[in-house]
Amino acid sequence: MGSVLTRNVLIKWAPLIVLIVLVLFFAAMEPRFFSLRNFARIGISSAPALMVAIGVTFIIIMGSIDLSMEGTVSVCAVVFAFAFIAMGGTLASFAWLALPLALLVGAVVGLVNGMVHVWLKIPSFMASLAMGFVGTGFALLLTGGDRVRVQDELFRSLLTERWFGFPIMCYVALLFLLIGWFIQTRTTLGRNFYAVGGGEELAHASGLNVNRVRILGFMLAGVFYAVGALLAVGRIGIAETATGSNFMFVSITSVVVGGTALWGGIGGVWNTLIGVLIVNVINNGMVVIGLPGYVQDGVLGLLVILAVVLSTDRKSVTFVK
Amino acid sequence: MSFIKKFIEQETISRRNFLLASAYGVGGVAASSMLGGVARAAISDPTVAWSYRNRTNPYWNEIVSGGEAFIESLGKPKEFLTHLINEGSSEKSLSDVKALLSKTNGELALAIDTNDAPNARPIVEAVAQAGGYVSTIWNKTDDLHPWDFGDNYVSHMTWSDEGPAEQTARILLDAMGGKGGVVHLGGIASNNPAIERLQGLKNALKDYPDVELLAAEPADWDTQKANQVMSAFLTRYGDEIKGVHCANDTIAYGVLEALRAEGIEDMPIVSYDGNPQAVQLVAEKKILATVFTNPHWGGGITAALAYHAAIGTFKPSEEPNAHREFYGPAVFVTPEDAAAFKANYIDSVPNYDWKDFWGPTNGQIAYK
Repeated sequence: MGSVLTRNVLIKWAPLIVLIVLVLFFAAMEPRFFSLRNFARIGISSAPALMVAIGVTFIIIMGSIDLSMEGTVSVCAVVFAFAFIAMGGTLASFAWLALPLALLVGAVVGLVNGMVHVWLKIPSFMASLAMGFVGTGFALLLTGGDRVRVQDELFRSLLTERWFGFPIMCYVALLFLLIGWFIQTRTTLGRNFYAVGGGEELAHASGLNVNRVRILGFMLAGVFYAVGALLAVGRIGIAETATGSNFMFVSITSVVVGGTALWGGIGGVWNTLIGVLIVNVINNGMVVIGLPGYVQDGVLGLLVILAVVLSTDRKSVTFVK
Repeated sequence: MSFIKKFIEQETISRRNFLLASAYGVGGVAASSMLGGVARAAISDPTVAWSYRNRTNPYWNEIVSGGEAFIESLGKPKEFLTHLINEGSSEKSLSDVKALLSKTNGELALAIDTNDAPNARPIVEAVAQAGGYVSTIWNKTDDLHPWDFGDNYVSHMTWSDEGPAEQTARILLDAMGGKGGVVHLGGIASNNPAIERLQGLKNALKDYPDVELLAAEPADWDTQKANQVMSAFLTRYGDEIKGVHCANDTIAYGVLEALRAEGIEDMPIVSYDGNPQAVQLVAEKKILATVFTNPHWGGGITAALAYHAAIGTFKPSEEPNAHREFYGPAVFVTPEDAAAFKANYIDSVPNYDWKDFWGPTNGQIAYK
């Protein structure tokens, strides 16, 4: 029994160990990596990605996949920026209403996404990918290819104001991480995600409305994408069609690297936090130690495979599709 | 939804043209190969066409709006310009041109980006064969030259970014006081402009022995990526960084925000492209210089060259080579002239003299 326990414990903590090893490795290569200011920089680049990754974590726990994040983030960012500017352009006015509006837009996109997937019986992979394209196209239609600048000092304090060395956006991300954790562990919906992912037929036979859980899952993911969009706009002060770019790769990779299995039922938001940090530490570390640009992508790919090998329990599955 | 209607109409026409062209083709090829191309005097009223990728890209939108401005300068409605949209397909580009040549019986003044370099030769040959006139931009192979086609291949224009990037680099290095460390954030590593813009910086650095190029990383023309790369640079080099050379404006936006997050407000930065937002930042002295390639003028003058060659305003074969293959304009925008530039180019579009074909160009193309 003792050995089984050790193995389980090891697998549970493997992602964190990978993260610590990476940090120590980069710190050994370049001492300046290991500084509060650099951790704050990693925090800034992680915060929006973490929100998007938490959103997709719920979907992956259900055993589905959501690839609509790039389109959803762009739409939320652009709608937020237009509404924010139209309603006064500063948080000190009614323009703060643009914040909940963006979350609402995210929820609506997620709802449509879920309905297309469930009602039209299109695999989540295809339905969400297609919705992502629709989102990107819609954002392009709204902006006409232009970028919208959000310059309000109050809103930008997400980036510029620091507490204990970290900008406010890191604390906002932390707050939503805790909300995600609460949903995952303390709500029926959160536990139902695991039920669906662990065995959909069983869940259905037990009287669970699986379709409803799925649709709510996509809606919830949409809200988290919207939070990610707001932090992304806060980070660079620009909303555009390209705001959502790259989020797909970063978020899916982070979720998997963090130890949440793509076949569902395993993992959670803390795994995702570790996963996002692993990916961003690798990205930041490679530049910091001066790895040439042309090998960075290749090294990132290899490290991701290595991290997945180390941090997922592959013994529990007989085959991988 | 009028653009959809327009698109369908356009597709219908080009399909009809294609059918006509196929019918013509068999006879036409036989006839033209016997004659060895149609030799004709000036065309009194040629059809003017622009063949390009599509209009959703802001750059091509500027190019085409220049073409329309030229048409309007002729006293015609801008609908007179025929749009051949290739959507990134060289095959469609070629078949559309052939169809239009048949429809117009070769009475065509064509401005075109052939989508890729190898496609330029069949296009030029088809136009020359039919007795039309063509001016190309951006894409052609190095062995294809306008002067090998008499008057029919009027001109080719492209842009070299190496020289202008070198000049902005000098502005940057001077602002740094000629010493300290500089970092470069580039475009997608394999893109030609990305390579040329980095090379421009390297050329300038030869004259500044006390400046060290600390690092050059691709930021993929992407604001968010640039933001993250710049943050990592700040960790690695910290205060050693005294200046930033950006491959384009979108990269500069990300760099500015990465610096802002650290409370750094006065870092010298230069960029490229002359986007309106970047020009504004130049006026505010947040960016020291950017370069504007004037796609509006480029689109207009390319159509104008083909048109005026067709109606006989000038005879291309009597022009020097520098008037057949040349670099497009590069306008520098610095804090001193940013306000004037904004007023002249962004807030209002200047009225160009579409017969001043070569004034703003930048010398004959040099092959390496």
